[in-house]
Amino acid sequence: MKSIEEINQKIKDGDAVVVTAADMTRIVRDIGAEKAAKEVDVVTTGTFGAMCSSGAFLNFGHSDPPIKMARTYLNGVEAYSGLAAVDAYIGATQPHRDPKVGLEYGGSHLIEDLVRGEEVELLAEAYGTDCYPLKDIHTHIKLDDLNQAVMVNPRNSYQNYAAATNSSEETLHTYLGTLLPGMGNVTYSSAGELSPLLNDPFFETIGLGSRIFLCGTEGYILGEGTQHSTEVKRINGVPVGSAGTLMLKGDLKKMDVEFLRGATMPFYGPTLYVGVGIPIPVLNPKIAQQTGISDEEIKCLVYDYGVSRRSRPTILETNYHELKSGSVEIDGHEIQTSPMSSHRKASQVAEKLKDWIEGGTFLLTQPVEKVPSKGQTVKPLHIKRPSILVRDLKSSEPITTNPQDNINDVARLMVENNINHVPVVDNNGKLMGIVTSWDIAQAVAKEVQELTQVMTKKVIVAMEDEPVELIARRIDKYEISGVPIVDRDNLVKGMITAEDISRLVCSHQDKRGGY
Amino acid sequence: MKAWLNFSPEIVNQAVISDLIKNFDITFNILKANITPKGGEMLIEIRGNQAQDGIEFLEGQGINLTPAKRVVKKDEEKCVDCGACVSLCPVSAITIDEGWKVELDDQKCIGCGFCTSSCPTRAIKLVD
Ligand code: SF4
Ligand code: SF4
Repeated sequence: MKSIEEINQKIKDGDAVVVTAADMTRIVRDIGAEKAAKEVDVVTTGTFGAMCSSGAFLNFGHSDPPIKMARTYLNGVEAYSGLAAVDAYIGATQPHRDPKVGLEYGGSHLIEDLVRGEEVELLAEAYGTDCYPLKDIHTHIKLDDLNQAVMVNPRNSYQNYAAATNSSEETLHTYLGTLLPGMGNVTYSSAGELSPLLNDPFFETIGLGSRIFLCGTEGYILGEGTQHSTEVKRINGVPVGSAGTLMLKGDLKKMDVEFLRGATMPFYGPTLYVGVGIPIPVLNPKIAQQTGISDEEIKCLVYDYGVSRRSRPTILETNYHELKSGSVEIDGHEIQTSPMSSHRKASQVAEKLKDWIEGGTFLLTQPVEKVPSKGQTVKPLHIKRPSILVRDLKSSEPITTNPQDNINDVARLMVENNINHVPVVDNNGKLMGIVTSWDIAQAVAKEVQELTQVMTKKVIVAMEDEPVELIARRIDKYEISGVPIVDRDNLVKGMITAEDISRLVCSHQDKRGGY
Repeated sequence: MKAWLNFSPEIVNQAVISDLIKNFDITFNILKANITPKGGEMLIEIRGNQAQDGIEFLEGQGINLTPAKRVVKKDEEKCVDCGACVSLCPVSAITIDEGWKVELDDQKCIGCGFCTSSCPTRAIKLVD
């Protein structure tokens, strides 16, 4: 119906109709998507939230004599310099090298200080080469002194995100903020109807080369971000949880601290508040409909972070209208909510982007390649370290005894075989109990004749197909020195003792040459 | 009113507070207390018809009383209005206005410190 070129012409002529995503929701509700698509040319979105996967490439320029920086610290925060001689990448979440400062000043704070124009300390170390003889540098620099300072954020602007609460009895400090015990509060992070990727849920208008608002200046989309995922549950066309992400780029030198802030999630670590705004060209009624999505229509799941498994239980399905009202109801209780991302700044981003476009200084771009809208999933990390199973341990024929055996014979059996535990089995070889040398000594001292009187009947066992690590933890937990190995039918297959396990660990260390 | 009471060591063992509550028509709330045998301090809220008389009684007992105007201070430049602090405040002293600006009401605040330790930009500081 409309093309980006036509919209750009209108922008140049000062005729383009630009509205924020919040206004568009009302417009579509009032006049419908068909009419809205005719009347509105561009919808501006905005978000201002903690985005950990952010950072910047810095180029320091060459010194005389030159140095090939191998380790670089800016105000005590390490920047990765495994790049050419004087390039480094400062990541937002990198903590300060001094553990006393630790999480209170990290990469994100350094980036903010640079953008504020402050002087920062540069320390660099090198191993020295024929062409780069200098081995260390200690100086001070400002953002203006750098040749380039390019923000490149591998994962920003999550399409939607979970909300969190905490059923446990302890206060938790998470990337979604402080969670009070006993479901004392709920935190959420998406900007809802203003959020960029919720207004273009199938990435029909954005991709590599899309010009955007990034931290107060023009930036660009480089493509999908890391962990971008499309195969997710959707309600009303939009994902109910984290799904699409973007990789973004912008010139740090032109950024504004109004829309970029260093921060520390308490007891979690440094993170960068990033302001992102994306203009969505209203090319047709479908896009108008999508940008008209409301907070009520965007669902969000509240997860229990008090359970520390990868898949946390869902406590509630809610929506952004409820979350933004300040409280949600859980089990009849009103629980206060915290947004975690600034809706005030998000609106300012959308407004500012609107002003730029209306003022004719910001033109839309046609993406060179769109952000993928299908076939993207996020794989978990499998830890590839083969576990040694109980059955892999070499164990000799099991030495067992029967309940009717004489105590003295059992004592002799232990001495002859140099063992301290003997499983007691029935005539079919099934486990009935266990006796230790200590039990036998007691029996002799108390003149007990029956083996069944001294044996332990509730036996802790190891299954053949369990990993040895698990047995080591079990032996430690129950403060015992060994357990019988049984199969699924409770037939005794052998014994595994603390000594067997320590021998196993030692032989492994020999093979690997130590840890 | 809200005020800090400073006790000298001699007073810690006397039943000043219970006398205060018994003899005056007031509502009295202890918001924060730090008392040792060597003296101590307490943040109190005192209200009611006889609040002023009660305060005079306390002063007469040798308790040093300093009105607490504000117990926390929010640095507006640092605050990014993220709202992380809002749901943590036990007395709803922190609210979000229609423009999504986060406001802190000094009068309601009891200085518990939950918000100060949870603010990502360290915008809220406890003050005496
Ligand atoms: S947590 Fe800090 S930055 Fe966020 S709204 Fe509260 S005072 Fe402002
Ligand atoms: S110090 Fe406690 S009472 Fe005061 S505003 Fe912060 S959370 Fe609320």
